[in-house]
Amino acid sequence: MRARALALSILSSAAVLTVGWQLGTQGQTPTVPDATATTTTTAPNGGSMSSAAAAPAPTPTAAGSSASATAPASDSASGTFTGTSVQTRFGPVQVQITVANGSITDVTALQLTDKDQRSVSISNRAAPVLRQEVLAAQSANVQGVSGATYTSDGYLSSLQSALDQAGL
Amino acid sequence: MGVHVFDTMGTMVSLRFAGSTAPASVLDEVEEAFRVFDERFSLYRPDSEISRMARGELPLTRASAELREAYADAFDWSRSTGGTFTPHRPDGVIDLSGTVKAKAMEAAARVLESSGETDWMLVAGGDILTRGDLGGPPWRAGIVDPDDRGALLCAVELVGRHTALATSGTAERGEHIWRTGDPRSPQRYRQVTVLADDIVTADVLATALVAGGPDRCPELIDRFDIEAITVDYAGHLTATPGLQSARGLTPI
Repeated sequence: MRARALALSILSSAAVLTVGWQLGTQGQTPTVPDATATTTTTAPNGGSMSSAAAAPAPTPTAAGSSASATAPASDSASGTFTGTSVQTRFGPVQVQITVANGSITDVTALQLTDKDQRSVSISNRAAPVLRQEVLAAQSANVQGVSGATYTSDGYLSSLQSALDQAGL
Repeated sequence: MGVHVFDTMGTMVSLRFAGSTAPASVLDEVEEAFRVFDERFSLYRPDSEISRMARGELPLTRASAELREAYADAFDWSRSTGGTFTPHRPDGVIDLSGTVKAKAMEAAARVLESSGETDWMLVAGGDILTRGDLGGPPWRAGIVDPDDRGALLCAVELVGRHTALATSGTAERGEHIWRTGDPRSPQRYRQVTVLADDIVTADVLATALVAGGPDRCPELIDRFDIEAITVDYAGHLTATPGLQSARGLTPI
């Protein structure tokens, strides 16, 4: 758990550094060398609640080269920026950030594999869901019930009490 | 399946085994594990160490090593959750009830593991910790519907490393989570359930997400290796990818 949290904090730092570099150099270098075909977005609130899967890996950036980006020429930075590939304990990691009017609106890991060599996404956003059916404890085949803490008195009328009495 | 139920920490604990119930000596040790935490950390017991601190009779510097360690740990959680979880009441009194029940559950788990019990589910006042499975099928937990506590929102399987499930909200014990602004704004979370590798993380993050609300949610669920289901005051539900297709739910 801590390992992943650490990796995420490293990633976040990398993303911030990347955007800092981009924002710092954008005014002086309108045409960034080694630009890859990244998409550009100017949506002010783009994707903040989307359930992002790992994006396909882009053209690998040569080791040691600078970050690549395509951004519209405007006073406040907007666009999608791709960082260089960084070696971490989880393997190579490349971070893409989406910036709208100078604020980061989304962070996506383009290359990130865990120890089992599966692709993982650092974006674990909560997205809207609907209730499909009303579940009754008995028919749902559950052995325990999670809810806000009940008191000893409240237990008597709780679903947990019903399950316990039924020996389920 | 054997079930053992007992009263501790002002709530009820249910311990069920996939096979037969553990021997009475093991059950006694499990109950003792909870009692030790309750006697030291309960603000409902006037004679507890933490109650003496709350009354100003005992300074933190003279508190037991166990209490200082628990306070330091809760303080670490406060920092790592950006202050959304806090070991202090608004009046400044140290209140470790946000971590103590989960710590007691961990202590009980150690008792069960050292006694060779491999397949069990421990439910303490709505928080759930499991080991092994139900003799083949996984342990399954229902999440209470905050609008109808006789119904379930969905059912979650406790499989793999995700063995701990905790729910925070305002349902039965009232508002014990400190937050600013209008606590019943439609966008605020009324209930949050967190699935994690350990029960302290699940419990702390469920509390932190209720306190932090939707504004802090993306940051917290990105930083910690957890899955979550939220219910706001307007009745809208959200879930992280691993729980969006939990039984009873469907992604939009």
